[in-house]
Amino acid sequence: MRRHLTVGTRARARSELVYALAILAAVALAPLAVANDYWLGVLIVSMYFALLAAAWNLLAGYTGQFSLAPAAFGMIGAYATGLLSYHYAVPPLLGIPAAVAIVGLIGLTLGRVVMRLRGPYLALTTLSFGEIMRLVVSNSINFTRGDLGLNVPGILESRVGYYYLMLAVLLAVELGLFLLLRSRAGLYLQAIRDDEVAAASRGVRIVLWKTLAFALSAAISGLAGALYAHFAQLVSPELGLLSQTGLIVSMVVIGGMGTLVGPIGGAFLVYVASEFLRNVGGYQLIVFALFVIIFARFFREGLWGLLRRAIA
Amino acid sequence: MPALLVDRVSKSFGGLAAVAEASFTLEEGELIGLIGPNGSGKTTLLNILSGHLRPDAGRVELDGEAVQGLRPERLAKRGILRMFQLTRVFRRMSVLDNLMVAGCALGLGQGEAERRALELTEDLSLAPVMRLDAGQLSGGQLKLLEFGSCFMVPPRLALLDEPFAAIHPTMKEIMAGFIRRRHRAGQTFILVSHDMPVIVELCPRAICMNAGSVIADESTRAVLSDPVVIEAYLGGAAA
Repeated sequence: MRRHLTVGTRARARSELVYALAILAAVALAPLAVANDYWLGVLIVSMYFALLAAAWNLLAGYTGQFSLAPAAFGMIGAYATGLLSYHYAVPPLLGIPAAVAIVGLIGLTLGRVVMRLRGPYLALTTLSFGEIMRLVVSNSINFTRGDLGLNVPGILESRVGYYYLMLAVLLAVELGLFLLLRSRAGLYLQAIRDDEVAAASRGVRIVLWKTLAFALSAAISGLAGALYAHFAQLVSPELGLLSQTGLIVSMVVIGGMGTLVGPIGGAFLVYVASEFLRNVGGYQLIVFALFVIIFARFFREGLWGLLRRAIA
Repeated sequence: MPALLVDRVSKSFGGLAAVAEASFTLEEGELIGLIGPNGSGKTTLLNILSGHLRPDAGRVELDGEAVQGLRPERLAKRGILRMFQLTRVFRRMSVLDNLMVAGCALGLGQGEAERRALELTEDLSLAPVMRLDAGQLSGGQLKLLEFGSCFMVPPRLALLDEPFAAIHPTMKEIMAGFIRRRHRAGQTFILVSHDMPVIVELCPRAICMNAGSVIADESTRAVLSDPVVIEAYLGGAAA
C-alpha cells in the first residue's frame, strides 16, 4: 500500500522550500570550492536555466498548461534589454526591468489568446510563436544584427559578482513563487491544473488565472534572459531554439514537476551534466530525452519525488 | 417570485432533442427530486442550469433574472453550485485545500475558508482524511468531498447529480442527513437520483422527465404512481 506522504498543498510547499533553500545555500558556498571562472560560468548559466525552469514549472507544473515558448521568452527578454542599450543607450538598470515588463506584456497578450486553447493546441501555438519570434530576430538584421549576435554591455566587474546576482534573483523568485502558492492564487492555479471544469463550476475564473500565470511565467523568463544578456554580453537567436526549451522541460521533468525544489535541482543537475557530456556533442539531448520519457512515465514527481519517498 | 424558473428550455445534439421545451418552477427552500429513465435529459438539463451547456431555446431565471447561457463561474458566483455525476475534485490537492478553493473562489478570506472547511470535514466525517490528497480517497469519500465543495458558501441552489450512486450505505446516510438538515434550514435543492427510496424520503416534490420533456410534476408519491411515469420507466408493455 502507498504510504500517506501528503499533508496539504501549503505544508508541502513549505517543506519543498526548505530543500530548495538548502540547494541555494550549497550553491552560495560553491565558489569557495570552485575557484575557476569556467565552472563559475557553468553555474551562472545553470542559474539562468533554473529561472527559466521555475517559470515554466509555474505554468506546466502548477497550472497544467504545457507551453513550448519559455526559451523564446528568455530570448525576447535578452534582446529587449540588449536592443534598448544598443539603439537607445538605455542603462541596464532600466533595461532589465523594461525587459521584464515587455515580456510580461507579450505574455499577457499571447496568454489571452492561447489560454483558451487546450492540450496539443496550446503546445503547437506556443511552439509556433517561439519559432516565429526566433526567425524575426534572426532576420531583422538591421535592427538586431541577426545571427551575428548583439553585443550587450556588462553590469559587473567580476564573475563572482554575476554569480551572486543571479543567486539573489533566483532566491527572490523562489520565495515569490512560494508566497504565490500559499495565496488564494496558488489554490486556484492548482485547481485549474487538476480539473478545469470543476474549478470553473466552483467559481474560479479560469481564463483570468491562466492568463495571469502565463504572463507571470513569461515575465520571469524575460528576467532570466535579460540577466543572462548582461552576463554573457552577447546574445543571439540561438537562445530561443526549441532545443533550449527541450532542455528546460527535461530539467523540470527530471527534477520534479509541480514542486518548488524540482526545477532548481533539475536545472543544476542537467546543465552540469550537459557540460560533462559536451564531448559527446549532440547525443546529450538524446540522453536527456530518454530520462524525460522514463521519468514522465514512471516517476511523475521526478527525482524530488523519489527523494521525498526515501526521506519519509 | 420563484427562486428558479425554467421556461420551455430546449437543447438538441444533432438530431437528438435531449431536452425539449422543459418547464418548471422551484420555490425558495424547496427540495425536488428530478427523476426519469436513462437518457431522459436530466443531466443535460443540469448542465444547462449550471452553465456547462447553452440552451438552444428557452429561458432560465434565478430570482427573476435571466441567467441562461452564463458561464459556470458566473453562475457559481450567483449561487448555482453543482455536483457532477462522474466525480470531479482536485486530485493532487488535499481535502482541506479542495474545500478552500471553493470557499475562496466565492469570496471568503483564507482564514474564514479554512474555518468552514474544518467544520464541513467534521460534518461529513472527512476529518480523519482532511490532510490527504483527494486522489487517495475512496469513491464514496470523493463524492462527499465534492458534495461538501458545494456548501462552503451556502448556495442559492444546489444541483446534485446522482450523489448516492455507487457509494457505501454509511456515506449515503451521512450525505442524506446533511441534505435533510440543510433543507430544514431553508436550502434549495434539485436532486437527481435513481434511488427511489431516497427520493421518496427526502423530496416532498418530484419532477419526472422522459425523452427530454417534463412528463410529471407533483408530490413525489403522486409522481411515482402516475401511469405515465410507470410507462416511461417500464416501457409500453407494462402500462
